[in-house]
Amino acid sequence: MKKIRQCLREHSVPLALLAPAVIIILLVVLLPLIFSFYTSFTNYRLIKPETLWQWIGLRNYQRIMGDWAFWVAFGRTVLFLTIALNLEMLLGLGLALLVNRITWGQRVMRTIMMFPMMFSPILVGFQFKYMFNDTIGVVNNALQSLGLTHEAIPFLVDRWLAFFSISIAEIWMSTSIFAILILAGLFAMPRDPIEAARVDGCNNWQVFRHITLPFLMPFIYIAMTIRSLDVARAYDVVDVMTGGGPAGRTELLWTLIARTAYDDARMGRANAMAYVSILLSIFFTWFFFRKLMQARKHLGAF
Amino acid sequence: MSKRTKDVIIWFVTFFIMLIICLPGLWIILSAFRPNGEILTKPAIWIPQNLSLDNFRAIFGMGDNVVAIPVGSYFRNSLVISTTSTFLAIVIGMSGGYAFARFQFPGKASAFLWIMLSRTVPGIALSLPLFIIWSRLGLIDTPFGVILVYTAINVPFTVWLIEGFFRQVPHELSEAAQIDGCTRWQAFWKIEFPLAKSGVVSAGIFAFLTSWNEYALASQLTRSTDSKTLPAGLMDFTAQFTIDWAGMCAMAVIIIIPALILTFLVQKHLIAGLTFGGVKG
Amino acid sequence: MAEVSLKNVVKFYGDLEVVHGINLDIAHNEFVVLVGPSGCGKSTTLRMIAGLEDITGGEISIGNRVVNNLPPRRRNISMVFQNYALYPHMNVRENLGFSLKIAGKSVQEIDDAVNDAANILGLAEFMERTPAELSGGQRQRVAMGRAIVRHPDVFLFDEPLSNLDAKLRTQMRTEIKKLHQKVKTTIVYVTHDQVEAMTLADRIVIMKDGHIVQVGTPLEVFEHPVDTFVASFIGSPPMNLIEGTINNNKVTLSDGVTLPIPPKTGNSLSDGQKVIYGFRADILMPKGHTLAKGGQTADLDLTIDFAEPLGSETILLTKIGGVEIQAKMHNPRPVKEGEVLTCELSIEKSHLFDAATGRTLKV
Repeated sequence: MKKIRQCLREHSVPLALLAPAVIIILLVVLLPLIFSFYTSFTNYRLIKPETLWQWIGLRNYQRIMGDWAFWVAFGRTVLFLTIALNLEMLLGLGLALLVNRITWGQRVMRTIMMFPMMFSPILVGFQFKYMFNDTIGVVNNALQSLGLTHEAIPFLVDRWLAFFSISIAEIWMSTSIFAILILAGLFAMPRDPIEAARVDGCNNWQVFRHITLPFLMPFIYIAMTIRSLDVARAYDVVDVMTGGGPAGRTELLWTLIARTAYDDARMGRANAMAYVSILLSIFFTWFFFRKLMQARKHLGAF
Repeated sequence: MSKRTKDVIIWFVTFFIMLIICLPGLWIILSAFRPNGEILTKPAIWIPQNLSLDNFRAIFGMGDNVVAIPVGSYFRNSLVISTTSTFLAIVIGMSGGYAFARFQFPGKASAFLWIMLSRTVPGIALSLPLFIIWSRLGLIDTPFGVILVYTAINVPFTVWLIEGFFRQVPHELSEAAQIDGCTRWQAFWKIEFPLAKSGVVSAGIFAFLTSWNEYALASQLTRSTDSKTLPAGLMDFTAQFTIDWAGMCAMAVIIIIPALILTFLVQKHLIAGLTFGGVKG
Repeated sequence: MAEVSLKNVVKFYGDLEVVHGINLDIAHNEFVVLVGPSGCGKSTTLRMIAGLEDITGGEISIGNRVVNNLPPRRRNISMVFQNYALYPHMNVRENLGFSLKIAGKSVQEIDDAVNDAANILGLAEFMERTPAELSGGQRQRVAMGRAIVRHPDVFLFDEPLSNLDAKLRTQMRTEIKKLHQKVKTTIVYVTHDQVEAMTLADRIVIMKDGHIVQVGTPLEVFEHPVDTFVASFIGSPPMNLIEGTINNNKVTLSDGVTLPIPPKTGNSLSDGQKVIYGFRADILMPKGHTLAKGGQTADLDLTIDFAEPLGSETILLTKIGGVEIQAKMHNPRPVKEGEVLTCELSIEKSHLFDAATGRTLKV
C-alpha cells in the first residue's frame, strides 16, 4: 500500500495527464462492456426490464453455439473479411506500384486515389445501393443500354450477387488505405538494395519478389492492422445496402447482432453475440499486429 | 517497346483506373443535381437534361418541393456533436499523448495497449450496453450522450497520433526552454505545442471525420431532431413509401463536402499520421 | 559571482543508484570539466545542477544558495545541449532573445543583448535564418549565444562538441576557451573526450560508475593519476600498464624481465605483492631520442612489432612482459618490423599501482 502511494506520488504528473483519457474510456467503453458481459448471462429483453436480473448462466452462449443462422452469419463474415482484405491488399499494392511508376501528375493521381477515403461507410453503402438498384441503378441501366441484358439483374437480391455487391462496396471503400500506405512505403524505400540486386542479375520480378515486397511488408501489415481495427465499419455499408437481407442472405455477424438486439429485443443473446464479434475484431487486430512486429524485426533497419 | 511508350501506356492505365474509382462518387454528386423524375425514367437518360439546386432546396425545406426529413436539424446536430467531441478528444488526446511521449511510468506499455484495444470494439457491439445505460441515464437522444461516446471512441486515435508527433519533438527543447526561464507549462505552449501543432490539427481532422461519418452508434443512440446526425438521418429516406433518390443524393453531397475539404487539407499528414509509430517504432 | 558546490549528492533512478554521494566545490569563474566514460554519471550530475533531474539526496548550491528544490528557471544558469536544442520554429534572433522575452525584458533591452551576443560570436549575418538553414558550427554558436545573452551565473555544457566533425571540433574548442576568457563565468562542462577535458579545463573531474575518481588540474591528473583507470583514461596514447610482482625490491614481469621500483613509491612493498607497472609512451624511447636526461633509467631490448610514423614522432608498438605497449621515437627514422631496438625507460616518471585495488602506490 505504501509502495503504491509512493509510486503515485512519483508519477503524479503523467498519471494526471493520462487520467482524462483513462476515465472517459473506462466510463464509455469498459464499464458498458462489463455490463454487457453480465447481460450476456441473463435473459434480458428490452421490453421486459425485470428480465435483467434473470441469470441464465451460459444458456445464451449455448443457444448461439447451436444456432445455425449464427454460424452461417459468422462464416459469411469471416469469408467476407478474408476476401475483402486480400483483394484490397492486392489491388492497393497494384495501384501503389502504378502510381509510383508515373512521374507526370503523380500528386493529382495520389489525391484522386484517396477519393474513396472521404466517403463515410454509410455513403458508400448508399452509393452502391443506388448503383446496383435493379430498376434505376446505373449498372443495370448501362448493361441494358449496351444491350448486354434485357432483364434487370437483381444485384441486391440474389444470394451470391448480393454478397458480391457488398464485397465490391467494401473493397471500393478500403482499397485506398492500402494503396496510400503501400505508396508511403514505396516512397520511403531506399534505392541501394534495388540497384545492388540489379547488379547481382535480378530481373524485374525477382527484384520485386525479393527486395521490394519484403520491404513493403511492414506497411502492408500496418494497413491490415488499421483495417482490422475498423472492420466493423462494414456493418454500416451492409445495413444500408441490404440490411442483412433479403431473408438473411447477406447477414453478417454485426447485422445479426443489431437485429437480435433491436428488432427481436433479445439483448442478452445479442450481447453474447457481440462478445464473439469483439473477440473476432481483437483476433484480427492482434494477428496482424504480431505480423507487423515480426516483419519489423525481420527488416531490422526500422 | 521504348521506355517512353511504356510510360505513356502506364500513365493511361493508371488514369483509367482512377476514373473508375471516382465514377461511383461522381455519379452520386451528379444525381444530386438532377430531378427525381429524370433519375427514375426508363429507359435511362444518360445525358442530364436539367441540372439545378432544387434537391438541396427541398431537403433544407426551401422551395416548392419540401422533403419531410429535417435535414437542417440533422446538419446542425452533426456539426455540434462532431465539433464538440473533436475538441474534447483533442484536449484529452494531447494530455494523454504528451504523457506517453514524455514520461516513463510503470505499466506504460500495457496502458497504451489497453487504450488502443478499446478501439477494436465494433460500434454495434458497443451500442448494445450503451443503449441500455444511456436510456436509464436519460442520455438517449441527447447531443451530450452522443458527444460523450464519440469523444471516447476518438481518444485512442488522438492519443496515438499526438503521441507520435510529440515524440518527434526532442525533449531537450523543453528543457532548454525551462532553463531559458519558462515553467514547464510555458515550455509546452511556447515550444513543444507549436512544433507538434500540425499533428494535433490532423488528429483533430481525423477525429472530426470519424464523428461526422459515424453511423452504427448514432443509429441506435439518436432518434429525433434533438440529436440525430446526418448519417443516421440518411436512413430516414428509406423508411418512406417511395425512396427519394434525388433527395438522398443531395443529402449525401451535404455529408461529403466537409469530408472532402478536410481530407484534402490533411492529405499530407494523412500518411505521416497513419504510419507514425507504426513503422518507425 | 557564483560558486557551485555539491555536497554528498546522490541520485537514484527507481532502485538504481547512479550517482553515489559526490562532493565537489567549483570556484567562481572556474572552468571545470566532468569527464568519464558513458554511464559514469557525469551528465546526470550536470542535469542535477541544471535542475532537469531531481536530486535524490545531498545538497547542491549555486552562489551560496541551496537550489535543490528550485526549478531550472530560478537557478540563473544556462545550458548548451549536445544537439543544441535550438527552437526550430524561431529564427536565430528569436532563439537568442527567447529567454529575455520570457523574463519580460523590454524590446530595446532584448535587442541590445542579442546584438551583443551576436557580435561576440560572429552571428550578425545569420540573424534572420532558422536553425535548419545553419551549418553545424553555426548552430553551435547560436546555442552558445543563447546561453550568454542572459548573463547567467553558471554555464553548463553537455557534450556540446560531439556532433561536430573533427576539424570543427578543434575550432569550436578554441572558441569556447576564448568565450570563457571574454565573459568570465563559472563553467561546468561535460564530455567523454579526454582531449577536450585536458585542453579546456582549469580543473578536471574524472568520474566512473557514479563516483568521482580524481579532481585536479590537467597536468596533475596527467602526471599523478590516482589509479589505473585515470592513467588509462587520460592522455593519448593511454598509459602502458604491465602486471608484475615485487621481488627483492624490483618488479618482475611475467616474462622474467625486471624493472626497478620507481623512486617515489613508498616503502611498504612486500615481496610477492602483485603490482601494475605504468609508464607513458613518451618516457620509453630508443637510446639517443631525447628522453629527458637525469634521473634513473632502465635499458630494455625491445622487438618492434609495428611502427606508426606520425611525422614529428613515431609510435612504436612492442611487447614487454607479454603485454602490448607503445613507445615513442622523437627523431623519426624508418623502423623495420622485427627490428630490435635498445630503449630507455625513465624510472623516475614511471608509476606503480596496486594490482588488487588499482590505486597508485605513490606516497
